[in-house]
Amino acid sequence: MAMVSLAKPDNEKRNARRRPVLSRDFVSILPALLLVLVFFVAPVLALLSRSVTEPVFGLQNYIALLGSSTYLKIFFNTFFVSVLVTVISLVIGFPVAWTLAIMPQRWAMVVFAIVLLSMWTNLLARTYAWMVLLQRTGVINKTLMGMGVIDQPLTMVNNLIGVTIGMTYIMLPFIVIPLYGVIRKIDPAILQAAALCGATRFQSLRLVLLPLAAPGMIAGALMVFVMSLGYFVTPSLLGGTANMMLAELIAQFVQSLVNWGMGGAAALVLLVVTLSLYALQLRLFGLAGGERT
Amino acid sequence: MLLNFNSLGIWKWALLTITVLTAAFLLMPILFIAALSFGSSQWLIFPPPSWTLKWYGALLSDPRWLEAAWTSFRIALIVTFFSVLIGLVASFGLVRGRFMGRSTLRALFMTPMILPVVVLAVALYAFFLRIGLNGTTTGFVIAHLIVALPFSILALTGALEGFDKSIEDAAVLCGASPLRAKLQITLPCISHGLFSAAIFSFLTSWDEVVLAIFMASPTLQTLPVKIWATLRQDLTPVIAAASTLLIIVTVLLMLIAAAVKKGLKA
Amino acid sequence: MTPFLQITGIAKQYGPVMAVKDVNLTVDHGEFMTFLGPSGSGKSTTLYILAGFEQPTRGDILLNGKTILDTPSHKRNIGMVFQRYTLFPHLSVGENIAFPLKVRGWSKAAITERVRQMLSLVRLEGFEDRKPVAMSGGQQQRVALARALAYDPPVLLMDEPLSALDKKLREEIQHEIRRIHQQTEVTILYVTHDQEEALRLSDRIAVFSKGVIDQIGTGQQLYNDPSTRFVAEFIGDSNFIDTDVVSVNGRFARLALANGAVIDGVPTHGTDFRQGRASLLLRPERIDLRLGKSEGVLPGAVREITFLGNHVQVSVDTQLAAPVDVRLPFGHAALGGLAPGLDVSLDFKIAETHAFQLEDRVPAS
Repeated sequence: MAMVSLAKPDNEKRNARRRPVLSRDFVSILPALLLVLVFFVAPVLALLSRSVTEPVFGLQNYIALLGSSTYLKIFFNTFFVSVLVTVISLVIGFPVAWTLAIMPQRWAMVVFAIVLLSMWTNLLARTYAWMVLLQRTGVINKTLMGMGVIDQPLTMVNNLIGVTIGMTYIMLPFIVIPLYGVIRKIDPAILQAAALCGATRFQSLRLVLLPLAAPGMIAGALMVFVMSLGYFVTPSLLGGTANMMLAELIAQFVQSLVNWGMGGAAALVLLVVTLSLYALQLRLFGLAGGERT
Repeated sequence: MLLNFNSLGIWKWALLTITVLTAAFLLMPILFIAALSFGSSQWLIFPPPSWTLKWYGALLSDPRWLEAAWTSFRIALIVTFFSVLIGLVASFGLVRGRFMGRSTLRALFMTPMILPVVVLAVALYAFFLRIGLNGTTTGFVIAHLIVALPFSILALTGALEGFDKSIEDAAVLCGASPLRAKLQITLPCISHGLFSAAIFSFLTSWDEVVLAIFMASPTLQTLPVKIWATLRQDLTPVIAAASTLLIIVTVLLMLIAAAVKKGLKA
Repeated sequence: MTPFLQITGIAKQYGPVMAVKDVNLTVDHGEFMTFLGPSGSGKSTTLYILAGFEQPTRGDILLNGKTILDTPSHKRNIGMVFQRYTLFPHLSVGENIAFPLKVRGWSKAAITERVRQMLSLVRLEGFEDRKPVAMSGGQQQRVALARALAYDPPVLLMDEPLSALDKKLREEIQHEIRRIHQQTEVTILYVTHDQEEALRLSDRIAVFSKGVIDQIGTGQQLYNDPSTRFVAEFIGDSNFIDTDVVSVNGRFARLALANGAVIDGVPTHGTDFRQGRASLLLRPERIDLRLGKSEGVLPGAVREITFLGNHVQVSVDTQLAAPVDVRLPFGHAALGGLAPGLDVSLDFKIAETHAFQLEDRVPAS
């Protein structure tokens, strides 16, 4: 029994020694955390701070940004195109996701492969394709003129029509894929029950299927809208300089005008809108977005 | 009823029409580019007057294109390596750790994926100008690593959450050191997550345009930067050829990913 | 003599929660000891502390007199079979069993021989090259058992290894485990919440409740002589009747029932009944039922008769608060004329009853 009293302090020491084991998990996160803090959080904060310190301390950049009709038009363009792209993507994406969820597996796989292929094809390659397709002497104009629908070629590049078409092409998969997951999870028996209750097809759609798919639609729409707001490549290639969007404006402030103050201010506007919409999405659907609700 | 394909009546045909048209809309530009890259017309007339391989010849004999492609490949490989490595280590901590603020950290790691990339590009550009990383491979790698890491963490935390830790515990009780158990037991069990993390990281870097535009210098540019710069001058069919090659790389990686997935299921 | 395995004063705290409060236990070499208790009673945590996956907040574990707490899991040389299937999915059955041997640097020939032995021990000869996914749950757990025993661990831990299997398969593998235990003489610590499984397998059972062990003993001891109401409830079926304590005489009490009857000589296990009330345990199968009103202690009326295969359960309304369940073997004399509403009387041997503290159980000391 004398052993017990001898062993006890040793035992306590041992238990105390073991406690740091917990933080080993935290240590393993450090490389990623450092990377993100040093090369992401810090630079972004530094950029934003320049909006109130350059050229002098104050809000002059924001006053200039929000007080000029040129910039306001860019904000409006960005917002307008993003809404348009979101709405069109939803209107097309819902029936496609719905069909994908219920059509014979083999064909659904084919369509799904096409959706994935278009999503993973290089962004520049896709945009290039639309630049060629939409140009005045392009296939679309030629086809329409050949069919006699129009007699003058339509201008579809270097304006917002081109941007909208190109962006919708890019965003469509981001609606279809999560929405497909949501509709797949709806139990078909619920709709059979609706039919047995006497609902017509249209009533079932309006009162049952659409409300059940709504979380997925809202999540997808928010994501597409936010992505569209900050899109850079497609708007600048298909829109031309006359129809600038916000991301392009930020790049231009920094690259051509070397005006870091204005660039930071425009970046902050974009960030605030983006983050508040994501906060909304997070509130509505949690961290995983619409896919896992 | 609405979720049973064959009891949809006329709606079935309406839905099918929309889906087929959408699939065509999604597929058309890709096929169109591939066709144009073999067309003889400098002005991209479609259908092409005749077929040729001259744009591929021009592409592959131009050292600037080849160098850009090599730069892209090299950077994407380095990014993939670090993204998977750092992502793997971090995922273990995120999934297994019991410390406070874990979900906040997760959200923080995902932010680069959701933030407009142009903001990150401009911010990093400013930072790199100051510390002299602009136009360097290191600068490229860091920039791409920031946007690739979320994909890697997403794939690997998902795989680790789906992995029953009891299996690793069993290996440890069998006498394997914790590290050995992770290397010999856990990693093979989450290999599908490792593959997805690698493929997503590679593609993210390989296809990335916006950051690359800001990181590039006249002597160091990736393939997307080269395409971007060329595209702003004219729509030469050489780009169609380059794009087609990029599409082939994508399709190959997708097929590999699908095969890996299938192989793991079998 | 030094005990083989000794657990002294183990406690484990997670934040504000005490998962294990104070566990003391001595296990003999070659013994089959079961930790029985509901989920959250601390039995699994104790097992995980033994495995080294958790560190105790207090206490010590001695194997052959030496503490094992300083030894990391992988050097403890302990075997374990888990609740879930933990075969390494990318390795074949043979490679799974070989894994601990490879880690220990065995020669190839020795490994091959040992794998063969272990497969024959669990009766899975010829399964070497199967992948775990191609096996049933029962087969997987048998391979896991073979893997855990391959390196001759002094102690084998089993954490509800059969809970994912269906009843029939479970009984089959219980026999296997029993046989393997006899064949290998390994010391087994087995966790389960299934009393039947515990009774079937164990030499001794430790009943866990709220982070402490209420009672340790053979199945018979626990059934015949439960030291707490919890143990009585967990092992076997039970009726509990609220009574007033008239007097306590040593380890026996005189209790008054709600219908006025007074019974004397109820075993109390030293409980002092400070509140003046006690809970009386009557085992349904230890009660006899007679037709008609007689001089029995508990007169009542039949409320419900349920046929349950080899026995019949009769629920009897008495003047006590709740109906009393009686279990009669099929073919019992009284069964012939039994019908709901009939007057009956219940009889039992007082030596087979037990009195427990009414509210809180007294922790075993």
